Amino acid sequence: MSGVPAVEVDGVSKNYGAVSALKPTSFAVPNGQYFVLLGPSGGGKTTTLRMIAGLIRPTTGRVRIGGRDVTDEPANRRDTAMVFQGFALFPHMTVEQNVAYGLELRRLPKDELRERTAAMLRLVGLTGYEGRRPSALSGGQQQRVQLARALVLQTSIVLLDEPLAALDATLRKDMCFELKHIQESVGTTFIHVTHNQEEAMTVADQIALIAAGTLVESGTPRAMYEHPKRRFTAEFIGENAVFSGPSSEGVLRVGGVALTVSCVEPASAISVAAENIAMHRQRPDLEQALPGTVVDVFYLGFTALLHVEVDGGPAVPVRLPSRELDVGIKAGERVWLSWDPGHARVHMA
Amino acid sequence: MSGPTDSGGAAPQRRTLWQAIVDDHGPGRLVLWIPLVFMVVFFLIPLALTLVWSVFERTMFWMEPGFTLAAYQDFFGSGRIDSFLGSVKSAAVTVGVAFVLGFPIAVFVRRSVPAHAQHQAVLLFILPFMISEVIRLFALRPVLGRNGIVNDLLMSIGVVDEPVSALLFTPTSVVIGEVLSFLPFMVFCGFLAMEAVPDYVFELCDDIGSGLAVTLRRVIIPLAAPGIVAAAIFIFVNSLGLFLVPDLLGGPGAANAGTLVVNAIAALDFPLAMAIAAIMVAMMVVLLLIGHWLFDLTKLLEPFR
Amino acid sequence: MSHDYESRWVYRAKWTYLLSVVGVLMLPVLYTLWISFNANGFGAAEYDFTVFWYVELFNNAEIRTSLGWTVLIAAIVVAVTAPMGVLAAKFYQGTQFKVPFVFLMLSPLFVPADVTAAALLVYFKNLNGLVDGLIGVELFDLSLWTAVAGQITWCLPYAFVVILVTMGRFRPEQTEAARTCGADAWQAFWQVEFPQIRPGVFSAGAFVTILSFNEYVRTNFLKGGFDTFPTYLVSYMLNTGMTPEVYAMAGLVSLVSMAAIGLVLVVALRRRIV
Repeated sequence: MSGVPAVEVDGVSKNYGAVSALKPTSFAVPNGQYFVLLGPSGGGKTTTLRMIAGLIRPTTGRVRIGGRDVTDEPANRRDTAMVFQGFALFPHMTVEQNVAYGLELRRLPKDELRERTAAMLRLVGLTGYEGRRPSALSGGQQQRVQLARALVLQTSIVLLDEPLAALDATLRKDMCFELKHIQESVGTTFIHVTHNQEEAMTVADQIALIAAGTLVESGTPRAMYEHPKRRFTAEFIGENAVFSGPSSEGVLRVGGVALTVSCVEPASAISVAAENIAMHRQRPDLEQALPGTVVDVFYLGFTALLHVEVDGGPAVPVRLPSRELDVGIKAGERVWLSWDPGHARVHMA
Repeated sequence: MSGPTDSGGAAPQRRTLWQAIVDDHGPGRLVLWIPLVFMVVFFLIPLALTLVWSVFERTMFWMEPGFTLAAYQDFFGSGRIDSFLGSVKSAAVTVGVAFVLGFPIAVFVRRSVPAHAQHQAVLLFILPFMISEVIRLFALRPVLGRNGIVNDLLMSIGVVDEPVSALLFTPTSVVIGEVLSFLPFMVFCGFLAMEAVPDYVFELCDDIGSGLAVTLRRVIIPLAAPGIVAAAIFIFVNSLGLFLVPDLLGGPGAANAGTLVVNAIAALDFPLAMAIAAIMVAMMVVLLLIGHWLFDLTKLLEPFR
Repeated sequence: MSHDYESRWVYRAKWTYLLSVVGVLMLPVLYTLWISFNANGFGAAEYDFTVFWYVELFNNAEIRTSLGWTVLIAAIVVAVTAPMGVLAAKFYQGTQFKVPFVFLMLSPLFVPADVTAAALLVYFKNLNGLVDGLIGVELFDLSLWTAVAGQITWCLPYAFVVILVTMGRFRPEQTEAARTCGADAWQAFWQVEFPQIRPGVFSAGAFVTILSFNEYVRTNFLKGGFDTFPTYLVSYMLNTGMTPEVYAMAGLVSLVSMAAIGLVLVVALRRRIV
């Protein structure tokens, strides 16, 4: 059993008439993993999640849950539960009735039903709110009730569709930690959709980046951040300076500078994390230093973020410890950028 | 907490017949088609068939299949066409009066009434509309008659010395009856069209200080045009067709298209009745198509999307 | 909005105009109502309040019978139309062809009553002959049921619109949430959506009751050999002219309608569905 993935998405696609929301996509989610579908809005990640849930039917491909093909089963006959972005609590029921709704449909004995409902409300920290209506709860509390309503069913998979998007930034951060804790304590497979990379990095064991209807890349948060394989990943996750342009014979030209690319095949771009770029106020004694002009300086607390427009190239982010601003770097200043060649990542076409 | 158990997990797989029926793709979905089928069978088909029946041969008490234009000749070649054209004229007057009296109300409600009270203000016009048409028309008799409340009022404030008898059983009373019957539709449709217009459009007009006349001509009327046109068609066709108004308020011989239909049926001339009905339906369809072509009437449906 | 800077007197004048138009529309009805309680009838110099004419109505067996038919028809029409309004609104939400569907559903409002009624009359007569010839049963002979069918074509558009507007406020996420909790399509509708659109269904039912209760033209064409209250009223009025009994009958119809609409408004305002 342990060898069978919790969810297998096998060549699944979705078209609305002539519009393609998701091109044929395949991935598998191992049991007990916190899996995040990350990507810009309209990229197809929510469509993917809803096809796993059984709320929409794939145009092509199969969905398997616990090894069983459920493509033709509607949501109520799948071993999944779901948390929505908002407005999904039943306003005519109390918190307790909301959480118990799925158990009632399963005709559980009354005492077991009460017991499990109470245990779930305790888990999400809402003991004492049983009799309230959803309209009398804050946004964060509403999402906790939704989580309890999903977890109480003890399905093997819990799906979360932008569960934190409607919350304000501080609350979102706290709820992220809490979601991760809860997932670890119950051990259920979570599949979580978000457009927020910080949220994804915090909770995920594994991230799948979906954009423009295709699965761009997947991996652990650390791998995606430090060693993005695709150029889009480098642009979407973290802050990276991306230099594109055709390369030939291991050289990529930016302005007048030839950057060595440690790859024999033609690459489409290289990227360097903003924090790995060194900035010099005098021309350094290096072959591959890119001259440029500081455009913006943002003070962000521990670090500072600069935008530097490279001569004949793009504007790129540079992150420095804030104390390096003490020398008085201002917009308009001429600077040179360089990095350890080991930090440059090559992206294929 | 343990993994999935029998009591939790997916809902039971055992399915009853009822569950099979109400399943997403089960036969239960077919009940959704009932209203559509009903309207097609008991409204669309009968009205479409009027065209067929209008060319049937008339028999003593009924009609039989055939092809003759006798009914149309009868309609166009007799006094009926004069009554018809006369009622077209008064229906047009009704539309104009209803616009002048009713449209400013729609503008006022949309522009000046606080947002939360707008629907309630418009709903006030449902009140009279929900009283029986028969009663409202019949009630105009004592109001407009020689001893009626309007004449009492006019005489007591000294506008006239003698009761005005032109108020009842004349073409004027027909128009009054029609306006009072259908005015609410101008308010409803006008408001509905302007409801789709965001507040900032009106605020912008105030902001740039365009005068009332310019705002009306350049902004409000173009934006409300679908509503005005829909209401105008509604009022026009119903004024033309509702036989109750000339029947109860018109003088002797007062008639509109509806009266002609009713009289033809009373005379058991079914092809003639169907011919006039077909002409009415065709007129309505043509007017709606022209209105839709010019002003995109689907804009009125925005709130339902 | 702009009323913040509008002259208060202009604002009041506009409200006065609005309310006086409503008043003028209601005036004839209220006036006849007033007359109906006068012991001396219309045009008399003196006004003596009485309910005598109303009592007279209920002593008239024909009127009692016609009221019975009216109530029976209204009950059937409501019982059929309110659920059909729900089905139509659901169909609308699911269909790709929204505009043609709405045009079809609302078109009975645009066709004059007598045109619809005449077409349906001839339609039923033809159908009746056809079915009679085929199976020997006069299935579509003019009857209670033909009148009911005619009234439904008139009432369904209203029920449809009222229910559709209420349904528009229902969040579809809740149906999805119910489905992921394990509810089938019917359970999700009945346990989650219906409780929330119930006020709209009730309002639609109340409107349909009023419309059916007041309907004259279609009923008069399509009824069998019985009279409903409105058809009795009109034929009585055309036969005898404006007698005090006619005023009382008119008054009765108005009072019933006003009570019903008042009830709907009170319920609607309390539930904030308008």
